[in-house]
Amino acid sequence: MIRFIAKRLGSGLVVLFVVSALTFFLLYISSGSIARNILGDQATAEQVALKEHELGLDQPLAARYFAWVADALSGNLGASWFTSEPVANSLATRIPVTMTMVFAAIILIAICAALIGVLAAVKRGWVDRVVQVGAIIGDSIPGFVIGVILVTVLAIQLGLFPATSTISPDSGADAWVYSMSLPVIALLINGVTGGAQQIRSAVIKQLERDYVRTLRSRGIGEREILFKHVLRSAAPAGLTVLSLQLIGMLGGVVIIEQIFALPGMGPLAVAATGQSDLPVVMGVVMYTVVVVIVVNLLVDILNGWLNPKVRVS
Amino acid sequence: MKLGPKAAAAALILSASLALTGCGGGAAAGGSAAGTAATALTLGTIQDVRSWDPAQAHVGHLLQPYQAVYDTLILRQPDGKLSPMLATDWKYNAANTKLTVDLRTDVTFSDGAKFDAEAAKANIDHFKKANGPQMAQLASVQDVTVVDADTIDINLTVPDPALEYFLSQAAGLMGSPKALGTDGIKTEPVGSGPYVMDKAASVKDSQTVFTARKDYWNKDLQKYSKLTFKILTDLTARTNALVSGQVDATILDPKNGKQAEGAKMQLAANEVDWQGLLLLDRDGAKNPALQNVKVRQAINYAFDRKTILDQVMLGQGTPTSQPFGKASGAWTEGLENYYSYDPAKAKQLLKEAGFENGVTLEIPSVPGFETQISVVQQQLADVGITLKVGAALTNTFTSDVAAQKYTTMYFSLFQGEPTVAINQIVSTKALYNPFKNATPELDAKIEAVRAGGADAGKLAQEVNKYVVEQAWFAPLFRVNQMYYHNAKVNVTPQIQQAVPSIYNYSPAK
Repeated sequence: MIRFIAKRLGSGLVVLFVVSALTFFLLYISSGSIARNILGDQATAEQVALKEHELGLDQPLAARYFAWVADALSGNLGASWFTSEPVANSLATRIPVTMTMVFAAIILIAICAALIGVLAAVKRGWVDRVVQVGAIIGDSIPGFVIGVILVTVLAIQLGLFPATSTISPDSGADAWVYSMSLPVIALLINGVTGGAQQIRSAVIKQLERDYVRTLRSRGIGEREILFKHVLRSAAPAGLTVLSLQLIGMLGGVVIIEQIFALPGMGPLAVAATGQSDLPVVMGVVMYTVVVVIVVNLLVDILNGWLNPKVRVS
Repeated sequence: MKLGPKAAAAALILSASLALTGCGGGAAAGGSAAGTAATALTLGTIQDVRSWDPAQAHVGHLLQPYQAVYDTLILRQPDGKLSPMLATDWKYNAANTKLTVDLRTDVTFSDGAKFDAEAAKANIDHFKKANGPQMAQLASVQDVTVVDADTIDINLTVPDPALEYFLSQAAGLMGSPKALGTDGIKTEPVGSGPYVMDKAASVKDSQTVFTARKDYWNKDLQKYSKLTFKILTDLTARTNALVSGQVDATILDPKNGKQAEGAKMQLAANEVDWQGLLLLDRDGAKNPALQNVKVRQAINYAFDRKTILDQVMLGQGTPTSQPFGKASGAWTEGLENYYSYDPAKAKQLLKEAGFENGVTLEIPSVPGFETQISVVQQQLADVGITLKVGAALTNTFTSDVAAQKYTTMYFSLFQGEPTVAINQIVSTKALYNPFKNATPELDAKIEAVRAGGADAGKLAQEVNKYVVEQAWFAPLFRVNQMYYHNAKVNVTPQIQQAVPSIYNYSPAK
């Protein structure tokens, strides 16, 4: 198992390196005169030249990339070109907001999707049809549309939740819960429907396998078959769906955070990319890649734990 | 055996999530938007400041947060009149090349440093070398000399009629001389203004909180005990925050404004920008048709400005043919409808110019202006002009404009003081004159404005007349800035600013 984890970590580091290099060079090609963008439309040519020198933009590209790598390895992600705020600080205040939301949503999705999916697979009939239709509807409505509907009804008309985030250092834990509720529900509705559908298919597939028939023929109870055997075999499919949803959510969360004005990674990513604020974009990309690598690793470990066959393969 | 820990883990996750949902349910019952006390003001803004270093300050709607913590040398009244603030009096020499400024003697900064002539000099020197986005404001300043403890001379290389205005903007913001140039002032401002930042309650890009400064020298400008800027980049989020009472005032657009009006919000409308076509290649360097003034005039006659305004902007604005704003002094009644809607005349002009077979213009698409561009495209097609819309403007557009990538573009531009507008769209140094079009006649008119001192506005009418007659642009309309506020606050719009200065808010009685 340790060798397996080490191997996955090693390939993760390679991915991190390749993505960082690609992002750096692509951003450089598409960024135009960043110094002029920082200084605005009134800037003179001399000002622009001075700013380029300040930012080290007059250095060769490869030298700049390796300087960035060296700094990053020593834990220094640099500072925003536009605000001078250290990138590490920006990430430190924003990652908790995004991650709280994503993890709350994914845990709730896991529970709800498992319950609904198993119910549909076992009961079939009308329950199954409702779940299937629900999955199509849930999948076809984007999360941000659900978000807008939730704000209009629950925040503005009924006043149950704040329309935009009230998270701030002096606001306490309930502000987090108030502010996070609607965004989490918006993510949840989207995720549960898709997740339940996948888990339903996986469970049905297992229920149709020969070993289930064998177990039944031995007189083992349906409940035991389901919880002890079928769910364990269906779990990898469920976990994979959840991990894909979590990774997909990192994209969906960007819009949700804009709508609810949550001070998470989304607005930072949008602003930094729009401005070609290279140090911040690099920080955001590194964070995203690390999350993806960690999630995949955790799913692999969990799968291995649940199903020893995976470890062997 | 193995089921044990797994079942426990499942139980743990389940109970944690139940607790979470339970919390959410419980919270919902008590959840409501935080009400603001009569002396607290919360404003919804579009973006956070980049740096609190006053030399990195910006203008327009980005000036507002700086005003909370920094006083300016000169105060600009809502109608644009300049009045004393940290400067009590100021006067030019006969040649308009030296501005002598008298300063207050009773002001201290929030770190205890005293405001005096040395502090004012330190700020202007810092602004000149800090390479901020508005550094051009002090481009004409040669140096500052301290005359005595409360007087400075600002020496100019050339006369600059906009200098006094600039001293009420970014260039006039005064920070503590002890803090200037340090890293600390980038994240925590140190000024002499009516409020001080509550750093513990502020989150970058989310909200900035200020509390009233004790013993502020001008209580008339300090109307609230607490001032919060809530940063709401998204238009829908700003609308929701205003309608649900999370912010007291914010800027919207005509369509979202309807929703705010439905929730009984009040509008403080104010015309600041103009929208229309910039016919940039007037010498025909890349598009020969644009060299002919008759073609440029034909473009101007092709538009039914009133109808476009009504349909696209819900009538929020005024049709116009001139790029200079009403408050600039350069604005003239006669130029307002200089090009009325006359497609027959447009066709006639194209024929006279030898382009009866049609003219093709290429413009970039502009995010947010797609509707306007498609209407413009259709009306131009009606007179025989083809508008080819290319790729959208991206974050590199300023450098693209400077690199002469566009011969024509649709844009929204600020209407500022006459010399500001000239420097932005007319002079050969202007970004929006990338082909550096100039004639001796126009140069003489611009020179007259620069040396014109107090008459600069009136002299700029000649520049305005020239660019309208020569059809350098095809302005469509000045648009209303839709600034909405609730009944708890009185708001006076600020001339030439999308959002009011912070002095223009007061608690409603």
